[in-house]
Amino acid sequence: MSSAGRSTKPLSQLINLLGRSLGQIQKAWEPFIVDFAIIATTWILITYTYSWFTRGPELATYFLVPWWLFLIGSVEIAVLWESFGVSLGHTLFRVRLLGADRRPPTLRQAVVYFFGWHISALPLAGLLASPPLHERWSGLRFHPLIVDSIRPRPWYRRSIGIYLMALFVVVSVAAVGVTITFQNLVRLFSDAYRVAPLWRALVNPNLAILKDSFSDLIVTIFMAVMATLFATIIAVPISFFAARNLTQGAIGRTVYTILRGIMSIFRSIEPIVWAIVFLVWVTSAHASFAGVLALWIHSIADLTKLYAERLESIDEGLMEAISATGASRFQVLRYGVVPQIVNPYISFTLYRFDINVRMATVVGLVGAGGIGGRLIAYLSGQRYANAGTVMLLIVVAVWAIDYLSSRLRSKLL
Amino acid sequence: MEQSGHLAIKNLTKVYERGQVVALKDLSFSVKKGEFLVVIGLSGSGKSTLLRCINRLIEPTSGSVSLDGVDVTSLPSSRMRRMRRGMGMVFQHFNLISRSTVLTNVLTGRLGYTPVWKSMAGWFSKADHELAMKSLERVGLEEKAYVRADELSGGQQQRVGIARALMQQPSLLLVDEPVSALDPATSNSIMQYFEEINQSDDITVLTSLHFLSLARRYGTRIIALKGGELVFDGLPSDIDDSRFKEIYGEEAEEVEVR
Amino acid sequence: MDQRLDGSTLLGNLLHTRARTALKNRAFSFLLDWMIWGYVAYAVMFFLNHYWYTWIPGHWYDTLTLPSWGWPLTIIATLELTVICRNFGRSLGMRAFGLDLYPTSGERISFVRRLLRIAVWQLSVPVACVGFWSNPAVPLHDRAAGTVLRSTREVDREETDANDALGIARVRKPEKRALTTQWGIMSLFLLGLTFWLGWTIIEANLSVLTRRADKAGDLFQKIARPDFRYFFKEDPIFVLRRGSFAILDLMVLTLLMTLLSTVLGTAVAFPLSFLGARNIMSFHPVGLVIYTVVRGFFNIVRAIETLLWATIFAVWVGWGSPFAGVLALTVHTIAALGKLFSEQVEGIDKGPSEAIRAAGGNFFQVIRYAVIPQVVPAFWAFTLYRWDINVRMSTVIALVGAGGVGTLLFYYKNEGQWSIVGSVVVSIVVVVWLMDYLSGWLRERIVR
Repeated sequence: MSSAGRSTKPLSQLINLLGRSLGQIQKAWEPFIVDFAIIATTWILITYTYSWFTRGPELATYFLVPWWLFLIGSVEIAVLWESFGVSLGHTLFRVRLLGADRRPPTLRQAVVYFFGWHISALPLAGLLASPPLHERWSGLRFHPLIVDSIRPRPWYRRSIGIYLMALFVVVSVAAVGVTITFQNLVRLFSDAYRVAPLWRALVNPNLAILKDSFSDLIVTIFMAVMATLFATIIAVPISFFAARNLTQGAIGRTVYTILRGIMSIFRSIEPIVWAIVFLVWVTSAHASFAGVLALWIHSIADLTKLYAERLESIDEGLMEAISATGASRFQVLRYGVVPQIVNPYISFTLYRFDINVRMATVVGLVGAGGIGGRLIAYLSGQRYANAGTVMLLIVVAVWAIDYLSSRLRSKLL
Repeated sequence: MEQSGHLAIKNLTKVYERGQVVALKDLSFSVKKGEFLVVIGLSGSGKSTLLRCINRLIEPTSGSVSLDGVDVTSLPSSRMRRMRRGMGMVFQHFNLISRSTVLTNVLTGRLGYTPVWKSMAGWFSKADHELAMKSLERVGLEEKAYVRADELSGGQQQRVGIARALMQQPSLLLVDEPVSALDPATSNSIMQYFEEINQSDDITVLTSLHFLSLARRYGTRIIALKGGELVFDGLPSDIDDSRFKEIYGEEAEEVEVR
Repeated sequence: MDQRLDGSTLLGNLLHTRARTALKNRAFSFLLDWMIWGYVAYAVMFFLNHYWYTWIPGHWYDTLTLPSWGWPLTIIATLELTVICRNFGRSLGMRAFGLDLYPTSGERISFVRRLLRIAVWQLSVPVACVGFWSNPAVPLHDRAAGTVLRSTREVDREETDANDALGIARVRKPEKRALTTQWGIMSLFLLGLTFWLGWTIIEANLSVLTRRADKAGDLFQKIARPDFRYFFKEDPIFVLRRGSFAILDLMVLTLLMTLLSTVLGTAVAFPLSFLGARNIMSFHPVGLVIYTVVRGFFNIVRAIETLLWATIFAVWVGWGSPFAGVLALTVHTIAALGKLFSEQVEGIDKGPSEAIRAAGGNFFQVIRYAVIPQVVPAFWAFTLYRWDINVRMSTVIALVGAGGVGTLLFYYKNEGQWSIVGSVVVSIVVVVWLMDYLSGWLRERIVR
């Protein structure tokens, strides 16, 4: 490899040009895409809420105008925002559209930028030039944000501030309108008596069912224990292949990407959904086993992520020092990596155990064993006093385990 | 009250309850208006505690502190806050609000003068804003007014701290180890700001310092603490080798900070 | 000043801070050992029940019911085992609290002295802790055996100090390998026991996994080939009270639910978190009472999962209404965020508040100018994180009748239409994954 980096081959010149153009396209489009997405979302939300109120919930629609009008409208609003104000995209990517010597844009420049953008950036062609054509015409370009002695406008007088306030109002109206009915509010204030026995039971539990519930609680806790133990056994070795800094080369990178992808999908599916699937698999005759499997899968995905992220932030200096002694790959792992991660790993495992205890009570609700099943049975039988007693047990257990695990974790770190 | 004593400290004692450590033992001295008084001593000798007992950030166990004839130690907390307006303080670790702008940091020096409801909304008067810019100009940081405080260097942050203390328009400046977190060159420039403030505004400066060389150079009077007791009170030139060993211990050796 | 600064009362002499800590550690380490043996006893009883209960007179039908002689026997047996463990080698409890048994005279403690210590313990401790009366640091059984139970770190420091004074460089003996010590073996034993016990309790059955693998395969195939028929279009058969909804409709509804609950939850948690921060509230005893109440509230409410809250609110404001979900998410968000927020407030740098106080600022000004600027970025990050969690949760709270996209999930699951379930699951995964990514990206940008 020559350090000069010059090459005369036309192919590599083309690649260079393409790379630079791609960079420019990315730079110009990143803020735009953010702005477009947020404008489009707002538009849809407004339409949906409006039609919800005017046409009723069953006829509510996302598009009151033709889709092409919606598309053009969103693009235009986004570009207007970017040309004449400081947009959300600008803020998030910490850039400002400024003229030469960081002068604020004049109206003429902004107008030129706005129209130029349509000719040059929208068809992408103008971005191949350096600087892009619309930037050249208007004399404006993205500068990194630097705060200096010019007094910035207060947030409520910036276009982002105004926009975010408007968005907040729109979303709140939509959310309140869509989720809450008048009926609901009336019941919130008048129907508290329905769950009163439940609260009463928290102070005055039904002792007759306490022992059986306690047995179920033990099952629940052991479900969490087993799920955590088995998940740890799997996740510890996997995490080494899911850490970016430890996976090198084409194969390593592929393994890393696949592992991280799978884990992120598995993590996105709630344990309760896993429990439904496993209940079909192992049948409800092995209810708590299904629960353990559900927690296990979710824990593996979660722990792998936590472990791998810890591995990614280890001190490379120690690894360097060990490899400098001529140690092999595994020796580097053993003496350079493992000592740094033992305590965090234990701490993450404890944290996950804590979560698993909570989750184990919840997977019981779909019939996957433990105390959750008892709770849902009482609730659906409208025996709220008993349900309250069970809930009391859950609260005490979860609280105690949470307390112990956080105490232990703070000692470990 | 004695005429000359701008700040008078009498039998000041501070005992930390928990550790049963005596930080200050029966300390008495007074400071004249316009003096540049330097407190020296080893770490843990009670310098910080002394400064904080004066504006009652730490409650003294017994004894009294009086400023311009007003007994500070017996004031109820609401009056105490008004009292604190007249005593600016500069800290070792700057104690800036790192995520706020420099200007906001400087404006917080006016909090004692601003009604609570106004300050809750973040409103300061126009005069306060002007004063803030003037204070910043004085420490040469008017360019950085809208920059976040944590983007500044250590020396610049300390200058913001000084500007904040100036905003209080104090008659007394309490300065706690202003340069021990800074490098020698910056230390000197910071000390020069204090000297300038002391001389042109006639503000009494009471500062604790780690290095004797800096104390000799800037102080008009030096007091030394050892284990919470006053072991020296006099002019900088009076500290000779034996005095030095008495204050800093037998094995100490003087280092020069230029 | 010749004031006696140490607490010179009788109680102070007996139990000044260090002695109190030592005694507490001693008690807790004993309790831990005892609990460990209690756990072993539970396991023994469980297995007896599980495999051979008919052999035992009085027929135990479950481990929580014992015959009349069972409880005293268990208590005495576990106590004795605990004491034996604590006298021969370093028990797990001693290790966990950093204690060890040292001889007061001689190099090591002989076997006879250990036996003597056990014997005297039987008299000195169980009878109302008589052995601790005269001198809590060296109780009767320790005095009889010429031993002392002390913190290893303290002993180490003293030895080092003593050696330093003599000018001896001491080479520290390395600790034994974990697996050759009592606590190491015990930990391994407990781990094995837990595996066995857990395996039995959860009724793990690997054969059913393989036996029904084909059924599971079918299921996974159906889910993995999702049918997006009802993504945009409403399913005419599926009718909620206010009309029929497509997956997209309910997804939007779910996101709005999470938004509303996150905003409401944050709005309540923010002011409450200052009341739940010890450093803010410790200005007055009343403040500490408020602190305790608020923290207790956070802990209790947090211990009830969102799904359980959803069951309560579904009964309260109506089965299947999204408002129940909003309330459940809000309540849990208040508690969870409140705790995170207050911990953040407790972790602030004290410097700025000192500066504000020195400038004459009062309590509220300190909070406004010194506390809030320090914690606001972390608050934003936590709020985004919580929104992310709420989105995950909101997809399943429909199970207990709290509305949202999960309604469809459980509806089609009950109908056995797994390929449509697949489409709902895929939609949920995409949204959750996007939220996860977005909130992570935004958090990174905010905390700077």
